[in-house]
Amino acid sequence: MRCCDVERLWDEMREGVEPQREHILAHLRGCPECQEIYRENEGIAYCLTCLPPVEPPKSLFPKILDHIKTTVKISTPDSVVTIDSPIGTLWVTFRHSGITSVALDRGEGEEAVLKRLQRRLGRGLIPSQTPQWVSDTVAAFFRTHYADLERVDISDLTPFEQSALRAAATIPPGEVRSYGWIAETIGQPAATRAVGRAMARNPVALLYPCHRVVDANGALHQYAYGVENKARILLLEGYKTTARR
Amino acid sequence: MSALAAPIIGDRYRVTAPATVNQPVPGPETFELIVDDYQRRLYGFALRMTGNREDAEEIVQDAFVRAYRALAKMDPQQRAELRLQPWLYTITLNVTRNRLRSKRPTNVALDSLADPDALLNETQEGPDQPEQIIDRAADMVLVEQALLQLPMHLRAAATLRFIEGRSHPEIAEILNQPIGTVKSHVHRAVRILRRILGPEVGRIAASDRPVSDSEEEE
Repeated sequence: MRCCDVERLWDEMREGVEPQREHILAHLRGCPECQEIYRENEGIAYCLTCLPPVEPPKSLFPKILDHIKTTVKISTPDSVVTIDSPIGTLWVTFRHSGITSVALDRGEGEEAVLKRLQRRLGRGLIPSQTPQWVSDTVAAFFRTHYADLERVDISDLTPFEQSALRAAATIPPGEVRSYGWIAETIGQPAATRAVGRAMARNPVALLYPCHRVVDANGALHQYAYGVENKARILLLEGYKTTARR
Repeated sequence: MSALAAPIIGDRYRVTAPATVNQPVPGPETFELIVDDYQRRLYGFALRMTGNREDAEEIVQDAFVRAYRALAKMDPQQRAELRLQPWLYTITLNVTRNRLRSKRPTNVALDSLADPDALLNETQEGPDQPEQIIDRAADMVLVEQALLQLPMHLRAAATLRFIEGRSHPEIAEILNQPIGTVKSHVHRAVRILRRILGPEVGRIAASDRPVSDSEEEE
């Protein structure tokens, strides 16, 4: 055991590793210089150990949680199910707050649909069993052409998009209104194009009936599920597409 | 040979040992528990590393956000394998590094980083006399400032070893370094502190040290 070993091994020795501890002790007994270094090292360690624990301010805990809430989007996944409907298989995503999106399967394959939904929601998806309230909500829509909007969650959308969709939901089944009509209804008469965009981005098609919103001249314009499906749905609701042309 | 007294080292937070340490890591939905368990520990570490309370608070907030994001992305298998405590130290250290890199050296607060109350409560034998408390606070400042003069990697090693009371293997895990490197960094840190604090060490340690039974050997 040499002097430099003592210095190097001092910290290990504090953990009481035998037989090194014995060797170092033996060396220290005969070497005043090492005793001095050892004493100083112990002093340093002691000073550091003695620094009292620091208490974070009481406000830190709520601050941390707030910080997480504001910087991290809520990312618990939605559940996803498929439901058969008169217009084909529907992919429906939902969380406890309500249905978050409805998409028509247009034969693009499960993987592609899920990817599209996930990108749109910005969250993960978990395939699950269909709860009664979800199948009831969808079935009720095809039976009555009204949806229970309490069971639909559009809180991810912008306030403008939400109010445009709420206005669309006031259009009775069997009738249509123009994009301009929605814009006026929500008090933004100049925002016709923005209404068009809001309808195009509607994640809960059918339930919020953006299919009842058409061009000023009555042309069906566009639809996320394809214009032919827009005509089909309107026909199911008793609206004669050709009547207005 | 009273210098060979049993070393005083250990986990200063042991009393409130994190409840989550030996349990599977909860998902992001129970993240509050993790924050509750570790905020003191990580704040203390960040404060010793930076010497600045505001920095420490922000570092801890950022570290928890990072941890939250990472946990949310992990699958159950990865979560089960995660060793939460070293992982959280590592994240905190990374945030600290980034922050200190982009900043001029910290202006060290002249008062002790610890609460005056903590100094008061620290002795179990009853309250100290006021002069003793002041002496002690002054000594604390000396030690804190000496620590802040160390280069970042040595400060991390010394803080984890002596203030946080972590073992060599655990520090190796936190710093992602071989154990040999950790030991050598701890050793170098102590050598530099010895040089900075010089003769003060003996005085601080002697004035402070409780008489323990192990001092009677020889």
